[in-house]
Amino acid sequence: MGRVLSFVSNRWARLVLVALVLLGVQTTLLNDLRPFGVMVPVMLLLVAGVGTVYGSEVGAIAGFVVGLMYDGVLATPLGLAGLVFGVSGALAGSLLFFVREPTWWMRVLVVGVVSAVGELLFPVLQTMVGFDGWLQPRAIFVALVVGGINLLLAPLAILLSRWTLKESLGG
Amino acid sequence: MATNSSTRKRAVVLLALSTVILVTLDVRGSSSAAFTRRTFSVVFRPVEDVTRVVTRPIANAWKSFTRFDEVVRENELLREKVAQQEGAAVAAAASVRTAQELLALNGLPTLAGINSVTAQVIGDSPSNFAQTVEINQGSANGIRVGMPVLNAAGLVGKITKVFPNRAVLMLITDPGYALSVKIVRLPEESTPAEVGDTGPTTTTTAAPPTTYIEGFTPGTTTIPNQVLRPVVSVPSLTVPPSNVESVRETGVLEGRGPTRTPVVRFIDSARRFGAVEVGSPVVTSGGSISLAPPDIVVGRVSRVNDRLGTAGPVLEVSLVANLTNLSFVRVLLYQPATERQVAGTTTVVP
Repeated sequence: MGRVLSFVSNRWARLVLVALVLLGVQTTLLNDLRPFGVMVPVMLLLVAGVGTVYGSEVGAIAGFVVGLMYDGVLATPLGLAGLVFGVSGALAGSLLFFVREPTWWMRVLVVGVVSAVGELLFPVLQTMVGFDGWLQPRAIFVALVVGGINLLLAPLAILLSRWTLKESLGG
Repeated sequence: MATNSSTRKRAVVLLALSTVILVTLDVRGSSSAAFTRRTFSVVFRPVEDVTRVVTRPIANAWKSFTRFDEVVRENELLREKVAQQEGAAVAAAASVRTAQELLALNGLPTLAGINSVTAQVIGDSPSNFAQTVEINQGSANGIRVGMPVLNAAGLVGKITKVFPNRAVLMLITDPGYALSVKIVRLPEESTPAEVGDTGPTTTTTAAPPTTYIEGFTPGTTTIPNQVLRPVVSVPSLTVPPSNVESVRETGVLEGRGPTRTPVVRFIDSARRFGAVEVGSPVVTSGGSISLAPPDIVVGRVSRVNDRLGTAGPVLEVSLVANLTNLSFVRVLLYQPATERQVAGTTTVVP
């Protein structure tokens, strides 16, 4: 029991566990629930949330880790989602870098924007590694829908991100 | 704080490089990438299963909310299709009935004259070395050792043990199972030029390929002008409608265990048949000493293994019945002659 608690008290271990649960939701529930025919990337939402709360470096690391896990269930080349999420996490932190004290709605806005950009990065990188055919007008529609839905879910994502990567669970 | 930041920067660079390397490896078809995916899949599967169970009600509620109109439309369409199919099924049943009457008129055995008992599968074999299942009907319902068992798709096996209210059914895939079968030529392969090349001439009743036999009434037979020749030289022969089964080969079907498909050996080669083709239907051959009545569907030829000399080919058969998921079966109350002496015992002569 002590070992489990010690494991969970590590912020990165907690991130992996939370990401695993979210990946389960992603591949089951969200795979069925497709508003406007678009799947909501809840993993990207988490990464964007982490980036806005903890900055670009932590966001990038979290993005790489969560993205690599996501890669495990995708048919795209292994590491592609890692790269996309890493860049997205870093971007989320960078957008708020120049704001002295970002308000909650700024974070929410950044999560929405970064989600849309991240979703658009997928077909771009796919094309770059030789998987043509995905960079088409529909990608923009998908990015807009994802951005809009993640904007609505952003407050929850920010809360979850804050708890997940908290240095100490007690504090 | 500065140390922390530089460590993170290094971590970011390392992770970025790692992902690029992973992408490169995977695009180039490296086995390590496939192994990583497989391993992750094993770890993730239980999580996914649990999540699926937990989130299913939400998904169902969402679907019922968003797809209600679509489901209603689909339901209406399906009802229309079912109505059409029912009409076609009645026509088909009439056709089958007519064919059976023709067979009966010629003194040939048909499935229509055999009663059956429907039973439910209540258990699998408790052994790793037997392909048997238990059903919930027994001798009280007229079931005897040796009776053939079918499901909706085709032949499943035969009864090997009978108790008052249950029986044990040996599946076709059991290595102890053997049955005389025939391989029927595919309908589209049958051409008029090939029919009637060899053998003595016999005048037979050939029905037109419709659901209605013109001029046919029970008790009388109209002999049309068409003259066909039989497969083998027997004194009399009935050629079924549309000549589909006029050319065939016979052999013995043997089970080979749960992981291997049954095979047909001892092919009694008929020159007119030519080479056996993959996809040809395999049905029971029937006959006085056969374990099953004729023309029960068993499966299709999935592979032909040619052998040198006069050994003849060995045919692998893909069964039409799914034996891994049996729930309801039908026991034909047809006891082969070879089983009548040993009925009620546990030993069966295949």
